[in-house]
Amino acid sequence: MSVFFKLVWFFRQEWPRYSIAIVALVCVGLLVMVPPWLTGTLVDAIADGTLTQPQLFRLLGWIALVAFLSYLLRVVWRVALFGASYTLARQLRLKLFQHLTSQPPAFFQRHNTGDLMARATNDIQAIEMTAGEAVLALFDGAFTGLIVLIILTTQFSLPLTLFALIPWPIVGFFMWRFGKELHISFRDAQARFSDLNDDVQESLSGIRVTRAFGREAVEQEDFNHIAAAANEANQRVATTDSKYDPAIQLAIGMSFFMSVVGGSWLIYHGQLTLGELTSFTLYLGYMIWPMFAVGWLLNLVERGQAAYRRLEELFEIRPLIADQGTYEDKVEPSLAITIRQFKYDVQSPLVLKDIAIQVSIGQTLGIVGHTGAGKTTLLNILLRHEESPDTDIRLGGKQLADFSLHNLRRHLVMVPQTPFLFSASVAENIALAKPDASLAEIEAVARIAEVHDDIMRFPDAYQTMVGERGITLSGGQKQRIAIARALLQDAPILILDDALSAVDVRTEQKILEHLRDNRAEKTTIIVCHRLTAIEKADQIIVLQHGETVENGTHRSLLQAQGWYRQMYDYQQLERAVEEGR
Amino acid sequence: MKATFLRLISYSLQYRKILIEALLLLIVATSASVIGPYLIKVFIDEYLTPGHWVFNEILLLVIAYIAAQLVGAKTFFMQALRFNRVALNVVQTIREEIFAHVQRLPMAYFDITPTGSLISRMTNDTEAIKDLYVNVISTFIQNGIRVLGILVAMAVLDVKLMLICAVLVPTVLFIMWLYQRISTPVFQQVRNLLSDINANLNESIQGMAVIQLMNQQQRFTQRFSKTNQLHYRAKVRNIIIDGFMLRALVDFIYIMLLAALLLGFGLASLSAEETVQIGVIYAFINYLGNITEPLIDMTSKLNMSQQALVSASRVFAVMDETPTPMVSKPLAPPTNRIAFAIERFSYDQRKDVLQDIHLDIPEGAFVGIVGHTGSGKSTLMSLLMSFYPLQHGQIRLGDMDLSEIPAAERTRRIGYVQQDPFIFSGTIADNIRLELELSADEIEQAARQAQLHEAVLRKPDGYQTVLTERGGNLSTGQRQLLSLARTLARRPSVLILDEATANIDSHTEALIQQSLMLLRGKITLLVIAHRLSTVQTADELVVLHQGQIRQRGTHRNLMLEEGLYKHMYELQQTADPFMGD
Repeated sequence: MSVFFKLVWFFRQEWPRYSIAIVALVCVGLLVMVPPWLTGTLVDAIADGTLTQPQLFRLLGWIALVAFLSYLLRVVWRVALFGASYTLARQLRLKLFQHLTSQPPAFFQRHNTGDLMARATNDIQAIEMTAGEAVLALFDGAFTGLIVLIILTTQFSLPLTLFALIPWPIVGFFMWRFGKELHISFRDAQARFSDLNDDVQESLSGIRVTRAFGREAVEQEDFNHIAAAANEANQRVATTDSKYDPAIQLAIGMSFFMSVVGGSWLIYHGQLTLGELTSFTLYLGYMIWPMFAVGWLLNLVERGQAAYRRLEELFEIRPLIADQGTYEDKVEPSLAITIRQFKYDVQSPLVLKDIAIQVSIGQTLGIVGHTGAGKTTLLNILLRHEESPDTDIRLGGKQLADFSLHNLRRHLVMVPQTPFLFSASVAENIALAKPDASLAEIEAVARIAEVHDDIMRFPDAYQTMVGERGITLSGGQKQRIAIARALLQDAPILILDDALSAVDVRTEQKILEHLRDNRAEKTTIIVCHRLTAIEKADQIIVLQHGETVENGTHRSLLQAQGWYRQMYDYQQLERAVEEGR
Repeated sequence: MKATFLRLISYSLQYRKILIEALLLLIVATSASVIGPYLIKVFIDEYLTPGHWVFNEILLLVIAYIAAQLVGAKTFFMQALRFNRVALNVVQTIREEIFAHVQRLPMAYFDITPTGSLISRMTNDTEAIKDLYVNVISTFIQNGIRVLGILVAMAVLDVKLMLICAVLVPTVLFIMWLYQRISTPVFQQVRNLLSDINANLNESIQGMAVIQLMNQQQRFTQRFSKTNQLHYRAKVRNIIIDGFMLRALVDFIYIMLLAALLLGFGLASLSAEETVQIGVIYAFINYLGNITEPLIDMTSKLNMSQQALVSASRVFAVMDETPTPMVSKPLAPPTNRIAFAIERFSYDQRKDVLQDIHLDIPEGAFVGIVGHTGSGKSTLMSLLMSFYPLQHGQIRLGDMDLSEIPAAERTRRIGYVQQDPFIFSGTIADNIRLELELSADEIEQAARQAQLHEAVLRKPDGYQTVLTERGGNLSTGQRQLLSLARTLARRPSVLILDEATANIDSHTEALIQQSLMLLRGKITLLVIAHRLSTVQTADELVVLHQGQIRQRGTHRNLMLEEGLYKHMYELQQTADPFMGD
């Protein structure tokens, strides 16, 4: 029940709705006690022959009034209570979203999308049910049960009540046993279902082997066995499940029987009237729902509690790199990178060592090196995804940490190798950083990124949807759209992280030329595999095992006859083969 | 939807006998359960009210009552078992059918359909059909008959009063209909908005890096918040509709009917002609209480059926896909000579992947097929495996068109070692054996032929080593060798070997080469090689470029020309400097 205490803040926030709901629930609980009572009175009057017409209409009038009032109150509590619980789900979802927007990339590496989605869907739903259905079960179920019990024992007869309730503990015992049985067989059925899933998955993944070996019949036979096992397991679940209904019916039937037997005894002894017996059985009918509500309540609370704990754990995670910079002004796009050494944590090996790079305004810096040389780490430090006391990065002469993250991101924009496009139109994807950009502005950057002609060939040009519900783009198209998107942001420093790898060399050269023409006074950093992308760079550094091994321009590095030269020759040959020469 | 429903129902008709049994049992169960209140009525009117205490007769009533309760419970349980058996058998049949159908779908279907959604069709959607059958259809039959039984029992007691209560049925049916009309659009809206929320969240998590780099956290949060808010409002609208129309309304009608019933009794007792029997009142009140619950149950299960029908229609859509035609003529080609005469081939009917391929491969030849990534090598082999239909041109095996040879014959002759060999869950021996009845010796022999034997002996349990998911405890090379062993165990006349990657280690390469040498001359070898050294000794090399044959000849001849093959060879002699060291 402690989850209710954890939700106190919410109950307090929504106290008007919860008060209305609880008052309405309690009123309904009391109102529904009236018709059985009046029915009993009426039956007695009929039995005694004392019924008069005004009395009849008065009684029925009261019943109709109760029906109407309880109808309205039922609508009221339902809307108030569930409405409030929906508010909780809405708030938690928004809070989760905001929390996620403040988390660094490292967080998303640790928590995969599936897990986070499970928090946002299943867990929030479980908490929503705690704030709604569980409160209902508590007030409607438990409360009604209590009132009925009080009425039965005080207004009728304690012995009769006990006598009539004899079948319930017995049936309760059986329910408990069925519950255990059901739990076991249900788990088994779930396991068989996941076998089925695995088998389908395996046979679909192996469909080529199946075809190549002509073993369709074998696959089918395996599947049929598993489907049959799933059937049997489900059969067992259904068998146990089918015991519930007859057991409950039997309990109700026997309970009514006991009340008639006991009631007749009391009537025989003149301690009860026929009408009272009638209303007694009506009240007895009201006990059925509370019997279930208690079990339901415990179940809901247990689930809600686990879900709330998981969500809290998530909310408690704070980003490692604090956004404490206060500098909000613009600076010149010059960079001074000094990295004495860098490692991800104390035990792990050195990733970067003795790096010193100066990039002045308007320059282009090229960074190359083998896989794992430390290029990505270097960019992560530049973007302040990572930091360490042994690094000193100055942007326009100021330390990176002095900038607010917001301001830092205004200065730097990066295009990754595999860009992410949202399920939106091409235009919206390009205008991501500037939603109010005109179509002319969007077209202008698309032309610079050499993707305008491609886009015009799409079915709806710039309004074409991309992603799951739209067209599929080639890797090169995605990269160019991402470059256009970055250009529209108009940041003074542009970083291309192998962002031209899927674009052919001729287009790559055109894009680079456009960039040179359009980005005077702005700085560009190009990390690449294919050396053609940095042929015209002002400065190229070659990284190897985290250290700078070569440094110069394309021309000087070719003359140096080192790693760069080796790479250049290799790629020349590779190009020949690719072009079929 | 109606057609889908009828098609679903038609599956159950083959279980006509069990269904009739179930129906009869249900009628017995219902009769037994409605007889209870009737017996109490007899007791009240004949014995209790007049004070007519005849022990034997009362005992008879008691025995009849208890017997009816027990028989009712037992027969109800028995009919439930039968309905469930039919339902679950139907689901098994549907599962077997869809699996069989998917096995026969053309390969192109799997290229365009995401595996995940196909798995979902075969598992989750068939599970939804199970729920429809077990929960909705059975509920409707059981509850429908129960309501009918109660009405009959009421009619026996008093036709006029029964008619008052019978008003409930059309009223509830009308409410159900109205509820469906009003609630379905809102319910759909809630679902759609929820899936929008989840899609939005999912996408934002994946694109969080871009969102942050472009400083768009606030805008995305606002967008999320807006959908979240709309979803909340739709849910509140939904709960208002539910509040007014579902349980509360049926409860209201129930109390009003109770009042109407009491009015009927009251007026009857006031008019001098009729005498009112208290037992009748008791029984009627009891029946009325039992009639509402089934009706509410049915209303609340309607939403579920909507969902299940959507699932069913998706399942049927897969089952209606056109399968590959079966070849039934028992033809066996006289030789294993292969002749390719392909004019052109395209996956999407737009871009040709292969053009003008004319190749004759005599029995027992060793042919190497080489080319850059995307040159069409694997496509050529897929065509030989008949994974895709060839529309322009033909492939002949032993002078017979491939499409005329029965699949069993074709797969027996042509063995295919895939690029990415699929490992089934099981032991190494299982993976070699698959469905064949092979002795341990034969398995070992195949493994020796594939040069896998040594590696297997180094595994902890030798041939009985259990392979983890997707063969995680084997190296890429070993997986390829395993796939080779598995294929060789089937003694093919033609062996197609699709070498995994250019990065296969030299040890595995040497092993594969040894195997090929052993097989050379005995069977036809068609080897796709990334490593040119693997096929250096082939009788003929075919060099593909962009779907066309660029060069042909032996290694020696091709090395004499300044061309694609020679450049590829030279490229492989130099190590890629990017791969580090």
